[in-house]
Amino acid sequence: MKNVIAFIEHKNGRPRRVSLEAAGAARTVADQLGGTAHAVVVGGDAAAIAGELKAYPLDTIHVLADAAADGLIDPAVDALTTVALALGPSLVLVGNTMIGRDVGSRFAARVDAGLNADAVAIDVRDGRVSCVSPKLGGLVITTCVFRSEYGVAAIRPNVFAATPGSGSAQIVAIEPAGRAYAVTLEEDVEVAAPELGVEEASVVVSGGRGLGGPQPFTTLLKDLADAFGGAVGASRAAVDAGWISYGHQIGQTGKTVSPALYIAVGISGAIQHKVGMRTAATIVAINKDPDAPIGAFADLLVVGDAFAIVPELVSAVRDARAVHV
Amino acid sequence: MVIPEDRQLNIVVAVKLVPDTNADKRIDPQTRRLVRSAAETVLNPFDEYAIEAGLQLKEQLADGSSVTIVTMAPESGKEVVRKALAMGADRAVMLSDPAFAGSDVWATAYVLAAGIRRIGFDLVLTGTQSTDAITGELPGALAEYLGVPGLTYAREIHVAAGRVRVKRETDTGYQTLSAPLPALASITKSAAEPRFASLKGIMAAKKKEIAVLRLADLEIAQAVGGDGAKLEVTELTASPARAAGKTVTAADGNAGARTIVAFLKERNLL
Ligand SMILES: Cc1cc2nc3c(=O)[nH]c(=O)nc-3n(C[C@H](O)[C@H](O)[C@H](O)COP(=O)(O)OP(=O)(O)OC[C@H]3O[C@@H](n4cnc5c(N)ncnc54)[C@H](O)[C@@H]3O)c2cc1C
Ligand SMILES: Nc1ncnc2c1ncn2[C@@H]1O[C@H](COP(=O)(O)O)[C@@H](O)[C@H]1O
Repeated sequence: MKNVIAFIEHKNGRPRRVSLEAAGAARTVADQLGGTAHAVVVGGDAAAIAGELKAYPLDTIHVLADAAADGLIDPAVDALTTVALALGPSLVLVGNTMIGRDVGSRFAARVDAGLNADAVAIDVRDGRVSCVSPKLGGLVITTCVFRSEYGVAAIRPNVFAATPGSGSAQIVAIEPAGRAYAVTLEEDVEVAAPELGVEEASVVVSGGRGLGGPQPFTTLLKDLADAFGGAVGASRAAVDAGWISYGHQIGQTGKTVSPALYIAVGISGAIQHKVGMRTAATIVAINKDPDAPIGAFADLLVVGDAFAIVPELVSAVRDARAVHV
Repeated sequence: MVIPEDRQLNIVVAVKLVPDTNADKRIDPQTRRLVRSAAETVLNPFDEYAIEAGLQLKEQLADGSSVTIVTMAPESGKEVVRKALAMGADRAVMLSDPAFAGSDVWATAYVLAAGIRRIGFDLVLTGTQSTDAITGELPGALAEYLGVPGLTYAREIHVAAGRVRVKRETDTGYQTLSAPLPALASITKSAAEPRFASLKGIMAAKKKEIAVLRLADLEIAQAVGGDGAKLEVTELTASPARAAGKTVTAADGNAGARTIVAFLKERNLL
């Protein structure tokens, strides 16, 4: 494994943040390996995205500008495979996202590559790439090395730095695979305005059963999340009650997040919730029960009524952040 | 391969046996593998949605189509597999061999593909992630090794006229995708709630077949298990337990907010 390839996801003409983080990590790891750093971008907007990627420290940006590939996994896997096989043994970085996991796992199976999920650090020792990942809901941390020629690491959003660099990358076209795909995309529907996903946000404000209904999720919590530039999460109890959609659920049967700050509002802190957020750098809980289990692992538990505290907190945070910008 | 419209379908649901979250999870420091005991093993909660989707498809087709459960797991998990049969699946196949122990995602996908090919399939259903590994990478790799279209994160699934059509969840909405059978789909948690096994189902499950396939029964060309894994675990450490921080009782909303702001400033988060 010598070169590193970042697979770039994009939406509405913009690269996804985790993909820029992948580009940043590609440079760092490629330098350690003494190889080159690449990006692969596929879709109708690929050329424009490539232009934006030029601000990142990559050697080559491989582009397949083809609107017919939008919303499909197979053309992306084909393009990635074409680039990887031409480069020879390499490490492919995808985001640990729905699309990243699909593209990464299909590519890995195609070239018999090892697959490291949820990488939070990547290192090179004696020329071998190793990845660090939390397992079992953050209970243990593993370090794994690849034994295969090619490797795939799905990087956890928000962990690697996306630092713009030289801007001297070469842009080259990928040879289209020229085959028909079995999967037909019949419609691609947006129901929500694209907002920052909980996995990518550096601040997550989550609500639980203690909020009593759907309304606080679109007002109180949304305001607090917006004040931080973060995202709204939820416990399963809130999701099961239909107060907010499943995509926001944090925990064992939802998403795993590791933001800089996690604020749990009206959430008791059951083990199944904890495993989805225990790796947050700082945890603050607001709960009216001084004995709520979340107190056992939160950095700060404020005992009180969420409906009294959160509105005050929103204005205090807005004030504090206004001073800084 | 084109599947005739009127043919009964072999629906194969891949399920994983995982440690119960509430049970104390232990890692063997020597082998760096999870120590599993039968009592603490459960069906991966996500996979119950895949089983439910398979059963509903079978019921809708009502043409003698069948649901087969497949899992790669030690034989000690047999009684857990029986729970899937009690929900209504027709039969189960366990891929059990000491040679499979220590498999990584790659080896699991590779062995499962060999097992599912051996069983024969028109539609493979999986969950979207497992509660122990949480890789979510298996469905894609499995589809690739089976050489079929992979429709992942399906919250609705329909089969008609030899095609499978799904509503696939995306970060901001959904897609409608379709593909010819044979195919693979992974089913999300927001699909229909899994049914509980009825008493009749539990009784019937006692008589249903749980076949076991070993390494020698499968067409496997590469080393699998710990020897063949493409990823080698070199270090495994327990993550530092989170200690309790401080608890402050807020006199009112304003005091509570001030406590939090002061704390966040202290930590340079504001
Ligand atoms: C297989 C399985 C998987 C699961 N997966 C998940 C998962 O992925 N994610 C998840 O979250 N859970 C999951 N659960 C459920 C989990 O066990 C808990 O039931 C759930 O997390 C509880 O949600 P909660 O904290 O919102 O509700 P509760 O436990 O009911 O807690 C509500 C809290 O709100 C507080 N409160 C009430 N009113 C106020 C107020 N006005 N102001 C402040 N505080 C208030 C209460 O003191 C209480 O602590 C799973 C369970 C199982 C069995
Ligand atoms: N050992 C296994 N046997 C059968 N199916 C599995 C196994 N491991 C994973 N799966 C399937 O793959 C899905 C995703 O698992 P994972 O990629 O491990 O998160 C699960 O929901 C199961 O449907």
